[in-house]
Amino acid sequence: MTTCENCKRFFPLEDNPEKGDCVQRVVDPRQAYYKSKPVNAGDDAVSCSSFQKK
Amino acid sequence: MAKAAIADRSVKEFEEKQEWWWAAEKKRSSRLDYLRKAIWKKGAIGGLYAPGVKTDLERAVLQTQKARELEFSPDPYVIKFAKMLAHVLDNKSIFITDHAQLVGYTGSLPHTIAWDPSCASILNEEVYNDPTAIPDPAEKSQQIIRDVNNYWIGKSDLDKMMPIFDMEDLMKMLSGSIGWGVPLARGGYSSKDYEYIMTGKRAFQAIIDELSQKIDEADEQTHAPGATPDTTRMYDKINNWEAMKITLEAGIRIAKRYARLAGIMAEHFEEDTIRREELLKIAETCERVPAYPPRTLQESLQYDIFIQMMSRTEAIEGAWPSRPDYYHGPYYNKDVNIDKSLTKEEAIDLLGEFLIRAAEVCQFKPKWSREGLQGIDGTWVWTIGGVDKDGRDACNDMTIALMQAARLVRVANPTFGFRWHPKVKDEVMREIFECLRQGLGYPNLRHDPILIANTMHWYGHPIEEARLWCNQACLSPCPPTKHGFQPMRMANATANCAKIIEYVMTNGYDPVVNMQVGAETGDVTSFKNFEEFFEAWEKQMKTIFSILVRAVNRARTLAPNLTPRPYLSALSERSIESGMDTLTPSLERGNAWITAFTWVENIDSLAAVKKLVFEDKKYTMAELKNAIDKNWEGYEQMRLDFVRNAPKWGNDDNYVDDIMVRCLKAAAKFSKELKCPSGNNWPILPENVSGNIHYANIVGALPNGRRLGDALYDGGISPGPGLDKKGPTAVLKSCGKINHITDGRAFLLNQRLSPSQLAGEKGYQLWKAYMRTWADLELDHIQFNVVDDSTLRAAQKDPEKYQEVIVRVAGYSAHFVDISRKTQDNIIQRTVQGLG
Ligand code: SF4
Repeated sequence: MTTCENCKRFFPLEDNPEKGDCVQRVVDPRQAYYKSKPVNAGDDAVSCSSFQKK
Repeated sequence: MAKAAIADRSVKEFEEKQEWWWAAEKKRSSRLDYLRKAIWKKGAIGGLYAPGVKTDLERAVLQTQKARELEFSPDPYVIKFAKMLAHVLDNKSIFITDHAQLVGYTGSLPHTIAWDPSCASILNEEVYNDPTAIPDPAEKSQQIIRDVNNYWIGKSDLDKMMPIFDMEDLMKMLSGSIGWGVPLARGGYSSKDYEYIMTGKRAFQAIIDELSQKIDEADEQTHAPGATPDTTRMYDKINNWEAMKITLEAGIRIAKRYARLAGIMAEHFEEDTIRREELLKIAETCERVPAYPPRTLQESLQYDIFIQMMSRTEAIEGAWPSRPDYYHGPYYNKDVNIDKSLTKEEAIDLLGEFLIRAAEVCQFKPKWSREGLQGIDGTWVWTIGGVDKDGRDACNDMTIALMQAARLVRVANPTFGFRWHPKVKDEVMREIFECLRQGLGYPNLRHDPILIANTMHWYGHPIEEARLWCNQACLSPCPPTKHGFQPMRMANATANCAKIIEYVMTNGYDPVVNMQVGAETGDVTSFKNFEEFFEAWEKQMKTIFSILVRAVNRARTLAPNLTPRPYLSALSERSIESGMDTLTPSLERGNAWITAFTWVENIDSLAAVKKLVFEDKKYTMAELKNAIDKNWEGYEQMRLDFVRNAPKWGNDDNYVDDIMVRCLKAAAKFSKELKCPSGNNWPILPENVSGNIHYANIVGALPNGRRLGDALYDGGISPGPGLDKKGPTAVLKSCGKINHITDGRAFLLNQRLSPSQLAGEKGYQLWKAYMRTWADLELDHIQFNVVDDSTLRAAQKDPEKYQEVIVRVAGYSAHFVDISRKTQDNIIQRTVQGLG
């Protein structure tokens, strides 16, 4: 199964690589920013439209 | 305006044409320009959120998820609540905007409006029924909202409290005719114990350590031989301390998440070396605060943003009590003047961004709130200037720099309330004047010696604390001290006072909502003289105020157990010390007030009745009642008589001014009979925000000649628009007949001045002389609109071109294009006073 761990946007925590952040670049009509959300390395990435293979 | 057209014209050209917004755009740094334009406008326009702005479902889902998980856990509610809050902070999306140096937002993404589903099911229903703000795809979002809403039915704060309220009072209040809002401890205006947390002596980690020690000691005490009532109480205290600790630890963790994101951006994405350095600085800052006290201006501002962001995750806060120059000023001074680690321009960039970070904050509000606060999310009236606890001038370089930054970013929220006192230096007065001249509509000016005396008079705050006051919302001072600070002022203690006079005419029956809301004071046609009429007025006034106050008192008494605030408690010395929730009334000295919307209609109506009915006997009371019952239809000549030929407040006319003073004194006397749960008084504070428009279709015809549907006066003690015909000094003299210490809590006064008259040094001197009269007459407040009719009318015709024109509405400012046509017209109708 493809998981977040296989994704370019996944940044594991140093002290607990099973957990990490999904960091993405967003450009909306007013501003550009990076957003981050906690995810688990083992989270299912199959249905994630933002998945990018490492 | 097209980019090229701005580029082609000089700052001077724009300033000469008084197009201050374009001049600001050219003057500010590229960073500030980017960040200012990056703001998603969150203030509702005509009661609706702007296109593109969406309700944030993420937080609602996270909170509901955790609530479900904890539903059957043995934890007491305060701990469950703290865990829900921590879960939201640990899992919400965070972001860092390009060019930003400061981070933190209440929602998950820049265009989102934070939604707290645990406050009230009636609010949740509004989320569901507001299609404009539902995120795409709508069907999926609606399903999520339905699921969240179903969970909170019967479990939200208001749902839990409603059944234990006095149902009759509650129904009258919820009718929307006499009050504004609901009595919720997690939905109002919350001050903070800034003296505890903002003076650099401690930050979150030190408080956590203290809490751990308290818990250990209490644990030991409860297990030592013996059992007393104190031992029993200790169990609750331990729970409260535990809950406080959970929230602070979560606060440190979310800051570290920002630090980590900044680090990832610097290491993996950023190619520009200067920006990379900035990101590393953000990372360092967020590692430092809020865990440890700030060392620099950037850390101090960031610390403040985190404190506010978390507080606004714990509760819906409709105001933003703050005193930025006082608490951040020492860091500004250290960085800019002593260490010279920041240039003044760099500091102004940080301050401008600090204003922008506050300007973008938004929490989902019900429609009545959006209509009453058109164009903004809440009243962020930050306090600047004033004195320190020893009475010395507290203005500093940051006071000036903040005003300069405000002129560059020109946000409508936050605004400033300036605490004027006789020792304020001329250079500071010039900065205030420049903000007003450039059409910001702020700072408003507050008479510091009068308000310090007022604060002591009404609540007995000691002078050293009273001197530290900052605005609780638009206008009401509150000391940010251990026992002085007000953890929640509930917005429903806001009286729609025009109903007082309306109910005198209707024997307390409300024809708009079809229910008996007021007192049965008798058939108005049976009153034989003005004294009987006035007696009925007093009884209606007391009845309305009492309904609202009883509800708030009940909610405040229930709040510590039913709707606690562990995070706010964790920032309160009194809660750390006592182990009790900060909403506990016995811990607070009391700083309650009744906001008196639509007050002056009473005065002009009473004067008209006294003169035309009882003295001149031009009309009988039966004729007046009949005309009013018919909304003056068919009685236009008579109506104009009541408008034009009865004395009007604001013209230095003792006939009507004496009535104003008499009404205020009657209210002030009753204010001392009304007591808050802390045992203190409930003075009134006349002001309106944009309630004068919200209530236009709720208040019936009145004896001052107003018809149902007409905008009400713009509020406070401001004369009716266009009815102050004797010039600016007469307005000040009328207002000067009120005792601004003992007759009420504070009194809002709107004035419009002509921009052309304020040009140059001559303009400054004219304004300064006018302000001297204001100060000599001891008025507690004044605020100015300095925008001419032609600009405002042009903005009505071509809103796109005038997006950035700001006006002072009432207790707040808004972009002119963001307020309703009716409010716009109401502002244009205000008399432009000529000085000199
Ligand atoms: S983009 Fe999708 S797959 Fe990749 S880390 Fe984020 S959530 Fe996981």
